[in-house]
Amino acid sequence: MAGRSTSAQPLQLDWATVQKYAIRAFGFTILAIVLWRVITVGLAEGYPASFWISQALNGLVLGGVYALVALGYTLVYGILFMINFAHGEVMMIGGIAGFFALQFAQARGWMEGPWLVVVIALLSIMLIGMAASVLIGVTLERLAYRPLRQAPRLVPLISAIGASLFLQYSVLLIFGVSPHSYRKPELISGGLRLGDVFIPYTGAIIFFTSILLMLALYFIIQRTKLGRAMRAVAEDRATASLMGVDVNAVIVLTFMLGSALAGAAGVMLGFHNTVVKFNSGFIPGLKAFTAAVLGGIGNIPGAMFGALLLGLIEALGPSALGIPTEYKDVIAFTLLVLILIFRPSGLFGEVLSEKKA
Amino acid sequence: MSKRYNVLGMILVAVLALAACVAAPPPAEAPTADEPMEEAPADMSGKVVIPAGGTIRIGGSFALTGPIPDPGKDIQYGAEIAIDDLNAMGGFEGFMFELVGEDGACDGTQGTNVGNKFAADDSIVAVSGGTCSGETFGLMPILQEARIPFVSPSATNPDITSADCDVCNRVALSDALQGATDANFVLNELGLSKFAVVHDNSDYGKGLAEIFQNHLMAVGGEVSSFEGVQVGDTDFRAMLAKVGADGPEGIFFAGYSTEAGLIAQQMTETPGLEGSVFMSVDGAYTQQYLDAAGPAAEGTYVSFLAGSDSEEMNAEFDAKYMDKYGVAAGDLGPFHGQSYDSVKLIAAAIMEVAEVGDDGSLVIDREALISAIRSVGPIEGLTGSIKCDAMGECGAGGVQIFLVGDGEFSQVSGFGME
Repeated sequence: MAGRSTSAQPLQLDWATVQKYAIRAFGFTILAIVLWRVITVGLAEGYPASFWISQALNGLVLGGVYALVALGYTLVYGILFMINFAHGEVMMIGGIAGFFALQFAQARGWMEGPWLVVVIALLSIMLIGMAASVLIGVTLERLAYRPLRQAPRLVPLISAIGASLFLQYSVLLIFGVSPHSYRKPELISGGLRLGDVFIPYTGAIIFFTSILLMLALYFIIQRTKLGRAMRAVAEDRATASLMGVDVNAVIVLTFMLGSALAGAAGVMLGFHNTVVKFNSGFIPGLKAFTAAVLGGIGNIPGAMFGALLLGLIEALGPSALGIPTEYKDVIAFTLLVLILIFRPSGLFGEVLSEKKA
Repeated sequence: MSKRYNVLGMILVAVLALAACVAAPPPAEAPTADEPMEEAPADMSGKVVIPAGGTIRIGGSFALTGPIPDPGKDIQYGAEIAIDDLNAMGGFEGFMFELVGEDGACDGTQGTNVGNKFAADDSIVAVSGGTCSGETFGLMPILQEARIPFVSPSATNPDITSADCDVCNRVALSDALQGATDANFVLNELGLSKFAVVHDNSDYGKGLAEIFQNHLMAVGGEVSSFEGVQVGDTDFRAMLAKVGADGPEGIFFAGYSTEAGLIAQQMTETPGLEGSVFMSVDGAYTQQYLDAAGPAAEGTYVSFLAGSDSEEMNAEFDAKYMDKYGVAAGDLGPFHGQSYDSVKLIAAAIMEVAEVGDDGSLVIDREALISAIRSVGPIEGLTGSIKCDAMGECGAGGVQIFLVGDGEFSQVSGFGME
């Protein structure tokens, strides 16, 4: 294609350029329609400011959860260039494990004790959820992905989809199809009421914990030896291995980090929405994948930013566009399609080299 | 760059394929799909022939997975006890009854799969089910084509029965009654006129929400918003914030237990809705609703389509249920009585038309059975005196309204209290 454009007449537009401008024009048309709709319909509804603030807060909480899960997608993609589609299920397993840990704690009355006991119990529940997710994540890597590491790229993807269904239906068979209801302890029920804005404590905890965990992850990746090894493997696996990096160990640790974050998200989402069941990781998993693509898959700050943006769009979108809230998933996945069409490398993504892509 | 497009395109396709897989459970047995049109062998067309020593096979479509697995199981148990009772009485002319249970998953696609399975099986005489309205809409055209009559214990959408469908029957009462009763209740007895109506986009929930909305507006109430959610959603805060901005006095939710419980719970945290009344419908008349809502269930209303129970029959049934399954009848769901009665009704109709042939086999004429279901009876069932009308509405009883207090449902209005 490059050869043809150099030999073309200066005035003649070559096909690639036409295509590029056509796609851009199409993109701007969509943007204009959305803006026009927001101004004429969404803002004309006359919702009070407190309404928009409430919705934005809902969006940030949602975004926090997506971010924790999206980081798992992005970490694994960064190193193995595969999409771990079973990652949503890894999160669900964390939620299920957290549920049983909570049952255990409740049976012993720890949830009614003094606040320090409750806080320690809640932290242990989260750690148990994270541990269960780590266990599943590492097992997945060992059994479903490592044997396929040299296979064509589509193969591990299919294996991941199979693993996703396997995990869902195993949980269905083992723990039953009925939803498990988390009972929130008194300490984190309810929330803060600021005028007409209500902030559930669980929502605030999700948001701040996810920020904290993301900062911790960023620190691990940028400032530790393990992080350096991970970045080296992401850059070039073969060379890193020649430099003495144990590639397998780095990959396992990457899965552990991603799964731990997903497990934390699963437990916190359990407390926030109070219900977990065998397929409750699926839609959040897809949303988190969307968030990772939105921010540029393989890019860690991109995943965080993309997730928060997706959460906000999902919460504010239906009201702003004046459409029923049941279309929030439509908005999210339309966004995924548009990003793939107009900016496949994501908002933050650098143009990947041919080798990576 | 183009290579990258390919990879991402591939991923997108994979995502969509995966979404499709999970949205619709994989078809049970795809090849059976084109067989339903086929009739039994030529000389015996339109007849089910059961050789001597065989069993009379009644199909069952139960929502064992999907949004209401516990009520689905409860309905299956009710049908199983009916079969046990029939066989304990010696079956019919030495032929025992057999229940062929399938998972209808409370879903139209799965209902279609189950329907195809039954239609392809010449030995299925009649069907008890489906549990949910959407599932039953999937079963309906296939069973109509295959001339297999069904009696649903719990599908309440008004369009399940119609003048066009002679195989469609149900013991449950139609939602036309429930929606209207609920609208009258909130307006006249609670004195609330401005309601937000929310449904779960299932055939059942959406149908019932529309009936409630139309009736409420017809009797002078106001519907501030009409919103849908998805079965399986767990975060309703964005929807509730939008609903709350219009300041309704109450929320009416038509759908199933888990979503109802979560909405009841999350609305207590939504500005503008803290003081609003929450009311839901028979799909939420379950323990699962109380569990999902937690403390927020207190003070909410739930309506149910109740039968006119005969006490000693129910006591006997409850004892058998406890004995066989180790749980109290009613702990899993409310529709076991209707399920028991639907199987009993089917059996009564079979006994009416089945004939023992010269070779000792039992012959059941399909067309005769279809009309017998509507002419037999009345039979005395757990939910009252069951007799179908010309449209296939067979249930007895009426709409009851319950208030939740101290973690239990207690009736405050409706059938049995007038």
